Amino acid sequence: MDATETAAVLARARQGDSDAFRALVEQHSRSVFRLAFRMTGNEQDAEDVVQDSFLRAYRQLGRFESRANFGTWLYRIVSNCSVDLMRAKQSRHDMSRKDSLDDAVELPAVNVPGPERMAQSAEIEARVQDALRELSPLERAAFTLRHYEGRSIDEISRALGLGTSAAKHSVFRAVKKLRLALAPLRRQES
Amino acid sequence: MHYTEDDLTLYYYGEGRRRADIERHLDACGACSATYREIAGTLAMVAASEVPGRSDQYGLEVWQRIRHQLPEQEWWFSGFWGFGLAAAAALLMIAAFVGGRTWQRSAAPTVTTASNATDRAHFENPQHLENLANPGSRILLTSIADHLDRSERVLTDIMNAPRGDISTEQRWAGDLLDASRLYRQGAIDAGEGSVASVLDDLERNLMEIVHSPSRISAADLEQLRRRIDAASLLFKVRVMSHELRQREQSPERSTPRSSTSTRVTS
Repeated sequence: MDATETAAVLARARQGDSDAFRALVEQHSRSVFRLAFRMTGNEQDAEDVVQDSFLRAYRQLGRFESRANFGTWLYRIVSNCSVDLMRAKQSRHDMSRKDSLDDAVELPAVNVPGPERMAQSAEIEARVQDALRELSPLERAAFTLRHYEGRSIDEISRALGLGTSAAKHSVFRAVKKLRLALAPLRRQES
Repeated sequence: MHYTEDDLTLYYYGEGRRRADIERHLDACGACSATYREIAGTLAMVAASEVPGRSDQYGLEVWQRIRHQLPEQEWWFSGFWGFGLAAAAALLMIAAFVGGRTWQRSAAPTVTTASNATDRAHFENPQHLENLANPGSRILLTSIADHLDRSERVLTDIMNAPRGDISTEQRWAGDLLDASRLYRQGAIDAGEGSVASVLDDLERNLMEIVHSPSRISAADLEQLRRRIDAASLLFKVRVMSHELRQREQSPERSTPRSSTSTRVTS
């Protein structure tokens, strides 16, 4: 779909044409799922985010400025839906967590497998996923957008509705927590 | 002078000012260089993990999942013409229902109903059951089911809204609030005690939403959500909507439900 075609489809979708919106859903679903999966780290949660994001996008199409990029606008919605879902999950499981370094817990070294097993990428991956799960929803979202999606701090602040400083510090806190959590791995490697 | 971990993190990601300065400094300073290696080593470990694959048909699958849940677009509810449309529709439905009952009463003058009869007596009145089996009653129940579906969307939106501006949800809730009052009264008149009870719960929560500050704080939003959760409102609304749809499809089941017989509990 080229730019002109996209603009026409968007215009029709904004007028309530569900077939036009369907075209947008079909075009963007896979990238939305990818981002949602990275944000939530869970396939089922990612599916829920995909669904919620498109429903929210449809409802808010009137707010979309036609000159803007639909994909960029959509990833903001996905980011917020992911944060909301993760917060709701935390709340449900009564595991509210402050956005504070006080919560960063170094994983116990006794659990670190031996050097030969550490070479296995699956082990490292599992440890990394554990460490990512320790991040607060906002930290994880900011870190995902910076680290995996290559978004700038300015873009992250717009996507998450934060000030530049808050977005920056969410990334910093995430990196600090990851450094602490993954320190045993690094020691094993070195 | 040393650079902070935050400066070095920004440097790693190709952001921040003084990049050339930092680069020169890292060549000369062992401590900063070691910190940077540690940061870079950690972040290199956090490599892009595998994302489960999705087929070319995935977009179509997503569409199939959401197509029946597409909410009204916001513009539909904003502006002069949109505002109050749900309430106006409710008023029309109730007027049609009341009109239908009045016509039936005058056509069958031998049956009388005490105006202050209890709900139970009301349900047991055969004339009343006849009224509820009429198309007007079914249309009313269908309209209430639609109203519950719309309300569910607003509640879901509130449960998932990021903190900040909820003015759109409030406008929507305000419109539904007017309609809810009318439908509740219609349900009471129809002897639908269970429906009226859910609408009553809904009305109170819609009112909370409408009267909350538009720029809502995280704490206030959380409180609002807790109230909705505590009343199991989303569950009740979904169950009631489903029940009304079932009755819509099975006319023989289009009989009133008292608040004691099928009260929705969570």
